[in-house]
Amino acid sequence: MKNVLKSFVFLLILFILVELISYALVPYHNLKYSLYEISKYEILTEEKDTVDSIFVGDSLIYSAFSPMEVWNNYGFTTFACANSAQLLEDAYNYLEIANDTQHPKVMFLETNVIFRNPKNKVWYYDYKNIMSSLYIINYHNNWKKFMFNFLNNDTKFSKVNVYKGFKYINKTQSAKYRDYMKYSEKVTEIPKSNLDMFDKIVKYCNQNNIKLVLVSTPNMKAWSYSKHARILNLKDEYGLDFIDLNIDNPLGIDWKTETRDKGNHLNYYGAVKVSNFIGEYLKTNNLVKDHRNDKKYESWNESYEIYSKSVIK
Amino acid sequence: MSYFGLFPLFVFLPLVIIIYNILPKKVRPIVLLIASYIFFYIISNKLIVFVILSSLSIYIAGLIMKEIDKDRDKLLEKVQEKEEKKLIKSKYKKRKKVILILTILFNVSFLFFFKNLNFFTLTFNDILKFLNIDYSFKIIKHLAPIGISFYTLEAISYLVDSYNEKIVPSNNIIKVLLYLSFFPTIMEGPITRFNEIDSSICSGEKVTYHNLCFGYQRIFYGLFKKYVIADRLNIFVKLIFSSYLNYSGVTVLFGAIFYTILLYMEFSGTMDVVIGASEIFNVKLPENFKAPFFSKNISEFWSRWHITLGTWLKDYIFYPVSLSKCVKKVAGLFKKLFNSHISSLVMGFVALFAVWSLNGLWHGAGWTFILFGYYHFILIFLGNIFEPFISKICLKLKINRNNRIYKSLRIIKTTFLIFIGELIFRAPTVNVATGMIKRIFTNFTFNNFGSEMLSLKLDIKDYAIVIISLIVVFVISVLKEKGKNVRESISKKNIVIRWSLYYLLILSIIVFGAYGVGYQPVEPIYADF
Repeated sequence: MKNVLKSFVFLLILFILVELISYALVPYHNLKYSLYEISKYEILTEEKDTVDSIFVGDSLIYSAFSPMEVWNNYGFTTFACANSAQLLEDAYNYLEIANDTQHPKVMFLETNVIFRNPKNKVWYYDYKNIMSSLYIINYHNNWKKFMFNFLNNDTKFSKVNVYKGFKYINKTQSAKYRDYMKYSEKVTEIPKSNLDMFDKIVKYCNQNNIKLVLVSTPNMKAWSYSKHARILNLKDEYGLDFIDLNIDNPLGIDWKTETRDKGNHLNYYGAVKVSNFIGEYLKTNNLVKDHRNDKKYESWNESYEIYSKSVIK
Repeated sequence: MSYFGLFPLFVFLPLVIIIYNILPKKVRPIVLLIASYIFFYIISNKLIVFVILSSLSIYIAGLIMKEIDKDRDKLLEKVQEKEEKKLIKSKYKKRKKVILILTILFNVSFLFFFKNLNFFTLTFNDILKFLNIDYSFKIIKHLAPIGISFYTLEAISYLVDSYNEKIVPSNNIIKVLLYLSFFPTIMEGPITRFNEIDSSICSGEKVTYHNLCFGYQRIFYGLFKKYVIADRLNIFVKLIFSSYLNYSGVTVLFGAIFYTILLYMEFSGTMDVVIGASEIFNVKLPENFKAPFFSKNISEFWSRWHITLGTWLKDYIFYPVSLSKCVKKVAGLFKKLFNSHISSLVMGFVALFAVWSLNGLWHGAGWTFILFGYYHFILIFLGNIFEPFISKICLKLKINRNNRIYKSLRIIKTTFLIFIGELIFRAPTVNVATGMIKRIFTNFTFNNFGSEMLSLKLDIKDYAIVIISLIVVFVISVLKEKGKNVRESISKKNIVIRWSLYYLLILSIIVFGAYGVGYQPVEPIYADF
């Protein structure tokens, strides 16, 4: 019994120490949110009102959209607000959280989420989301921001979130050719509760002056022409922009080299193409500003420096 | 999967510990066996059948040899005459030999098929091509069962020791199955002998609080070596070995130095995890490393580095070869013609050649590994040739060979030779290896040293962490070398100091570990062998 108690105390102190160190290492700008919330909604690591555009969605987004590519090529501040198997309700919650601290001007919504039935929610994904975003694990490298600074006269103290929601994976598992996006008369149904939630999201965006853009990122497995047809109806109904990056493969995705799991998710090389497309869209439509020369955004340059060293081009 | 993941150490292992402790003593060895097979199945899937086949083969062969010994002993009891006894012994030994050879062949054939067949096929195809023969043998693509190189050597040692009556083959099938597949050792060894773990592996002793703490302490030390040092150096090493022509000789030398450190930290770190995990279940495994960088010559290095492989090769290759009738005959001839020093050199030459050929091949079917083996063979053999001369010169010049400076110089020389050896080991081809060595000696300039070192994806703070961590490992190694048990000493300190050290170790791994953004973890290197 004595040993059980001792072990418990040991683990309790360890937990407290980890929490304390986490406060030191995690970029922390919103004290009203807990570390757990920061781990779930990574956008909370960004300084207030610095992110102009967000991309909300599931694993397709954190695989296909890299904000650092957009920053480097266009100077726009974007963030991938994504979790595994995200539901439309989760997307709405993320939007609210993001808007509370960032007030984005544009929100891209991955359309795959609109079809995910909330009744099929899998408990495993909650666990996976928490595990994959354990704060100290994600931000532990920020120790470099405040240790051994005498070695290179680095007195800066800005902890950074390097990937901005993107998950860097450069492995390749080629997809076999399939009848992907073959024309069909069918229209996939959207669950009723999702239609209500979608309506709520549109209203929220309108009330907060956020331009909502629907995007289908390249996906060989989950996306189909019948889903495309349904989103077309929805887009017309609400008068929204809809970009389907699957129809006629406008980005020229090479399914042999640019997917990490046989066509389900893109890998880094595919993500570069999607990110540049989004950057170009924001630029062409003049939706957000280029901040590259703005001192307030110095930490984005720092993040890019680390990011560029970590990705294999 | 490697031993270093969250799943094996903090989900799988605790689960096994709990189930093991809940169930009665008799059932515990079965729990370990099932856990081992589940672990093996997760990694190698259906290939588990090969480890089971190997285990069953040695179990049955062991029992047959035991029966032969029994029959022989019964017969010997009835016989009085020495000559007759000799004849009986020889007759039964022959019977055992048949069993031994057949079972060894059975086990080695799997190893050869999975590890070496493609290398030999490729080499043979190259020869055919060279001879302008328009034919090539097909290369069969397949995965090898995890740890086959390790458990096959264990299987051979079980068979040979049974044959030589050094061990009594076990009737307990669980014990034999577990000996080859015990999950902590299955991937990267250490290569254990049956009599080393025979009594503990099936003892079913309860996991005690002391063992649990000590075991996990050692596991965390292994994690520290792997995550903080090895993984940090990995990206540097990868870049140097893939594009060495872009760097000066001194940076290439650092590539070799860092790779040697990485290899040591990864492999000895794995051993810490393996030995720590086994300790939890009261299984005391042999150590595989003993401060190898304190070695004064290459022979000594190999008695401190991957010790269990070295002793296996010594016991099952070196001695049998050097004591074989044929080698003895040749050595005798040289003794007559020259002197006993030359004779022992010849004997050593043949046995060492066999040892290092197999050592190279065991590490992998590739020319770099074979070259790696012969590189050490040549160094050890040259050492043996020159030792009497060096000894005489030192005596004449009145150099005290136990002098600290002399010892230090020998350690530096040996360490440099080790760096070159590991460079050969890591290089993707023999051409790259020779190119890198050439570059070290022909392009040794410090002109761009600083900028080159910082261009290899490590910043100055990474180097600071590496240096501090190496100092920590060095101090612990020195203490161990002096015979101090570091964990025992820490456990005697008061709780504040003790726990502070534990927290420092765990938090160092979490904070300073080279994982996540910008780092690439080292794949389990020895698991591939």
